[in-house]
Amino acid sequence: MSRQPPLVIDNGTGYTKMGFAGNSEPSFVFPTVIATHQSASSGSASAASSGGRAPPPVAGKPSHLASKRGIEDLDFFIGDEAVANSKTYSLHYPIRHGQIENWDHMERFWEQSIFKYLRAEPEDHYVLLTEPPLNPPENRENTAEIMFESFNVQGLYIAVQAVLALAASWTSSKVAERTLTGVVIDSGDGVTHTIPVAEGYVIGSSIKHIPIAGRDITYFVQQLLRDRGETAAIPPEDQLRVAEKIKEDYTYVCQDIVKEFKKYDADPYKYFARFSGEHSVTGRVSGVPSSSTDLTPSHLLFAHRRAQNKFERFLANRIISVPQKYDLDVGYERFLAPEIFFNPEIYSSDFLTPLPEVVDTVIQTSPIDVRRGLYKNIVLSGGSTMFKDFGKRLQRDVKAIVDGRIAGSEERSGSLMKSSGVEVNVISHKRQRYAVWYGGSLMASTPEFYNVSHSRVDYEEYGPSLVRRFSVFGSAV
Amino acid sequence: MILLESHSVIIHDVLTDRFEKPSRADIQFVDYDNVRFHLSTPQSKAQVLLSMGIQCWPDLVKFGAREHLQQQYAGLLLGEAETEPEYNVSLLIDLEKLPATPEEQTELINQISLLKATAMSAPFLSAFAEQATLQANYKEPAGAQQMDLQPSEHKGELKVVRYREEEAIYIQASHDHVTIIFSTVFKEETDRVYGRVFLQEFVDARQLQSLQSAPQVTYSNREPPLEIRHIPGLKTGEDWGYVTFILFPRHFANPTKALSTINRIQLFRDYLHYHIKCSKAYMHSRMRYRVAEFLKILNRAKPEVAHAERKTASGRTFRTR
Repeated sequence: MSRQPPLVIDNGTGYTKMGFAGNSEPSFVFPTVIATHQSASSGSASAASSGGRAPPPVAGKPSHLASKRGIEDLDFFIGDEAVANSKTYSLHYPIRHGQIENWDHMERFWEQSIFKYLRAEPEDHYVLLTEPPLNPPENRENTAEIMFESFNVQGLYIAVQAVLALAASWTSSKVAERTLTGVVIDSGDGVTHTIPVAEGYVIGSSIKHIPIAGRDITYFVQQLLRDRGETAAIPPEDQLRVAEKIKEDYTYVCQDIVKEFKKYDADPYKYFARFSGEHSVTGRVSGVPSSSTDLTPSHLLFAHRRAQNKFERFLANRIISVPQKYDLDVGYERFLAPEIFFNPEIYSSDFLTPLPEVVDTVIQTSPIDVRRGLYKNIVLSGGSTMFKDFGKRLQRDVKAIVDGRIAGSEERSGSLMKSSGVEVNVISHKRQRYAVWYGGSLMASTPEFYNVSHSRVDYEEYGPSLVRRFSVFGSAV
Repeated sequence: MILLESHSVIIHDVLTDRFEKPSRADIQFVDYDNVRFHLSTPQSKAQVLLSMGIQCWPDLVKFGAREHLQQQYAGLLLGEAETEPEYNVSLLIDLEKLPATPEEQTELINQISLLKATAMSAPFLSAFAEQATLQANYKEPAGAQQMDLQPSEHKGELKVVRYREEEAIYIQASHDHVTIIFSTVFKEETDRVYGRVFLQEFVDARQLQSLQSAPQVTYSNREPPLEIRHIPGLKTGEDWGYVTFILFPRHFANPTKALSTINRIQLFRDYLHYHIKCSKAYMHSRMRYRVAEFLKILNRAKPEVAHAERKTASGRTFRTR
């Protein structure tokens, strides 16, 4: 019997990515959320199979456990189902800032994700889990305890997310050698991390966090739409969803913001896109489609630049679009949305350092002997780095900073010393969205994985402190 | 989630996705009991090949699994020669020849995602059929009370399905019931204790008034039950347990009922292990709660720091904040 494929589970703050090693995409991606009954006592009264008997009977009286306590600990949902049941259950997010906060919920989350979704008997499998950089060793120990003692897994490997993202970048054609040195820019929903990794070890002291990520871009798109009065057509409960959809489908990174504005003003019909949605609650699309196409010219009036028009359109939308399918123009937000990484001042007033500068600082604060390697291998990971030309722009900006610095020091040396230059490479690849998971899948499908994992026998020998030992692998891959 | 579902969520999700928009796929995944799946599009995007490798296939074939699958997945099942190497069964789904209505498509997806359950149901179905023939041929012996007839004469063949490396399901039909015996093994000391308590409760719960129509369950630890005691090489020991279910004809009276009975019963082992794990998780959450409570007490028990006024040499005092 061949060995069963290892399970690869990447529990993120927002989303959990799960699947089997060797695949190119996770089989399940759903929110890391668990829905439980608010109070145990009310839960047990309804959940107990024996009926409306009072929940805590005197111990010893009935001879079966089922009536002694309820089964409310089994009554929970995870992921999308949890969100769907949020009206009758209360939602909990067991992971905060990448780290597991509530172990009770997490244990049950894993329980259901393995048994219900992956349908795997954990006793037959090795498991690869991920952890954020700077995860305290106590958390690793707790994780190992749950995995080995509750689930009896055959073996466990806890990998650092940044390292897996580096491994995932090996699929890119731009990567010549497979190295575990590089800077990982991991931008998910909540926060963006820039993490330098040298030979598979995270340089903890140089990690920088940027409080701008996917959710902020969505808010920014929404804000732009609202400023222009486009949101009048969208039902309020859908606004965020629409903004998210626009962010995902229409945006790109421009190379020069001024030129881009000019381009749009010169030929708006070419660049402005149309978005059409339908009401999520009523689902009404009853309107005659032709009538909305007839309206298109009036929609394309640049209401955002003329106040009266804005009001007119507002009224028009009110009357025509509300009960029907609605359409709206997608304008400057197409390139302004991802621009907040490069010019954060257009969105936030607290955080003003552009991403390229952060990347440069991160590398400059790392040990001098790895800096060249770090500049050479800047890897993108996570959904919010998926914008078109994001890598190109980042590479150009970082390169500009580096070249400026080199030119400055050459000048200070009295033009006596010439630098050979520093290579700056930003690598984007196809698997960027689930890069961490993909890296995990890649690593776990190598035969070496079984040698570096902590096996069940070792756990029984050494106990949970076993996972404090951190074994890098990939050096020989 | 108290009961496990019998369909594979991955097959369901992937097919639902592909039915709408065909695209390339190459996915390997598993199901309980060493079942491997491979979903791929070897020739074109519209040709989805779903292969299943199942450990107990030789056993299942003996009990007509291939015929049963042929019947259930007519037009989809590939012949033995065309089956993907290293796998036992292959289904080819042509996305260009799908049923027209969405309802039928959903029906097809549901049916395909039950592939493992369908394959595993073959021995159960053949046992049910056997029971029916035995019942038909069975004649109430005259004066049965006195004549103590040997019951073994009216028993069908003992079907053994070795669905895991060490564990097996034994199925035997009789003229008025079908006996299903699971052998279980626990690798872990803790699991064994939980398992024994759990199974004991399982048997006791049957005695509840509301569960009288459920199949009869007996559980024996160490000793195999009489029905299979003659089989050579049966494991006996602390780690081993045998759970016997006795299904009466009312449990498989009509095809729908039979199917739901089969689907439940073949997930019994996974159900058991899932619940052992859940019980452990429950215990752990109680332990964490208890530790947190103790810590609170410990923190309260800390001696108070005496606040003596501290002075510098020149007689000034520190301000304590």
